[in-house]
Amino acid sequence: MALLELRNVSKHFGGVKAITDVNLQVPSGRITGLIGPNGAGKSTVVNLITGMFALSGGTILLDGTQIEKDGPDVVVRRGIARTFQNIRLLAEASVLANVMIGFHRLETVPVWSELLGLPASRRQTRQLEERGRALLDRFGIAQFADYPAGALAYGHQRRVEMARAVASDPAILLLDEPVAGMNDVEAGELGEVFRSLAASGMGLLLIEHNVRFVTSMCEEVNVLDTGKIIASGSAQEVMRSPAVIDAYLGSAEETA
Amino acid sequence: MMPFLVTNQPIIDFFLISLGIAFAQQIVFRAGVFSVATAGIVALGAYGSAILVTRFGLSGLPAVLLAGGIGLLAGLLLSVPLARLRGVYQAIATLAFVEIVINALYYFEPLTGGALGLSGIPKLVTTWHLLLVVGLTCWLLFAIGRSGVGRAFDALRQDETVGASLGVSIRFYHTLAFALAGLVGGVFGGMKSLYTYAISPEQFGFAFVVSILTAVVLGGRATLLGPVLGALLLALLPEIARPLAENRLMVHGLIMIVVMIFLPHGLGDSLMHALTKRRMRRARQAPEVPNGSA
Repeated sequence: MALLELRNVSKHFGGVKAITDVNLQVPSGRITGLIGPNGAGKSTVVNLITGMFALSGGTILLDGTQIEKDGPDVVVRRGIARTFQNIRLLAEASVLANVMIGFHRLETVPVWSELLGLPASRRQTRQLEERGRALLDRFGIAQFADYPAGALAYGHQRRVEMARAVASDPAILLLDEPVAGMNDVEAGELGEVFRSLAASGMGLLLIEHNVRFVTSMCEEVNVLDTGKIIASGSAQEVMRSPAVIDAYLGSAEETA
Repeated sequence: MMPFLVTNQPIIDFFLISLGIAFAQQIVFRAGVFSVATAGIVALGAYGSAILVTRFGLSGLPAVLLAGGIGLLAGLLLSVPLARLRGVYQAIATLAFVEIVINALYYFEPLTGGALGLSGIPKLVTTWHLLLVVGLTCWLLFAIGRSGVGRAFDALRQDETVGASLGVSIRFYHTLAFALAGLVGGVFGGMKSLYTYAISPEQFGFAFVVSILTAVVLGGRATLLGPVLGALLLALLPEIARPLAENRLMVHGLIMIVVMIFLPHGLGDSLMHALTKRRMRRARQAPEVPNGSA
């Protein structure tokens, strides 16, 4: 059962073909990998799925419904959440406040009731506070709930961002280089969180250029190079593909 | 207490009107909209209620309510072209809106009295009315602060892209902020003219724009306390600086610069921030300082 599906998706910036005919499936309950060298277009794929960029061609389906014309806020309400490659927290706001904004799509109290300050509005805020703290606990950062998010260490900020994305209870979670700049122990801990999210039925798209981490996490790996998918399959298959060795691993060794 | 209130009543009333207008300005700031349109909206509300009372014989309450309606409508209309603008461009466009309103007030002389303005407006608004409406506005802002609307506003102010990526509709919440600021601004404009006997276009010009911004920026953009302190300072400043007579505006500017340098978040926000920090320091039993804490 494929939940999120990209069909022949293309994106051109003027004459530059950033993404060409990309086909990709992100099924629920699993972690799908998307790897590729710097500049391959990985983040562009995320921006296309989340409605930040308009497509130049192709279509994006969520459970069979076309979503490529939806704006970012609509895409979230449909159940797709993301994290950013460069962490984007509301630095002045507390960690808890950051996570509570993630609940936005789940809020049920009508706006007029909130403006009048009716008890339902306050009740909802209290409930979301409790849920926010529980979620922070799941990500191991409950002790920082009341700190300004900008004051946290890098690894903890990453976790806050992930907790915020998970807060919207998404069906699909797009993780844009979530373990960048982390050591193996930290990455391993987050990996466990990803596995538990997938086990709960969420579909994860893990975008990385840490090949080792992706191959250890994902059954299905897609390789993107200069805007095209050059290989898809199990981690072992993909790593053996001559095109991948040539385009990605080969060039990585040369530059190393 | 009572003698103090009686002798200082004009200052208190001026403070309450400034406070209401500052609250209106704070709503748009809170949502991350850099609009200075409040002066124009207040002008529309003020002329609206004055004309309704003097020409159409309405009593105070419906006139003020209609002034709020005019403000709300103006805010909604304004939000349409402004939805595509950001930051300093919003400031320029909304400043142009204020200019348009003022020029319209000069132009439609039969209705607005032109440069002379309107006079002989009955004084229907008392301190108690002002207190009541300021109280209601406080409740509105307080309710916003504790609700999903406030969270959405805060998210958009700090990072629009992140807000949208979490499902917050930029368009809806910016429109909502304009509408609410228009409503509050219109109501206080309406009360202003029914308090001061006479109004004229130049009261709502650039100096008025600056004084509204001063109240919010000096006081603070995020907390309820901010505009209270800002408006209080603006109301007291002329009294404190009275011996300086004409140099008053200079002192005004000087205070503004000093506050901006040393308390960039404004008096109210800085105070609340310091209190929160102190509370957290006390609450912390075992010191658990996150790495890289600033």
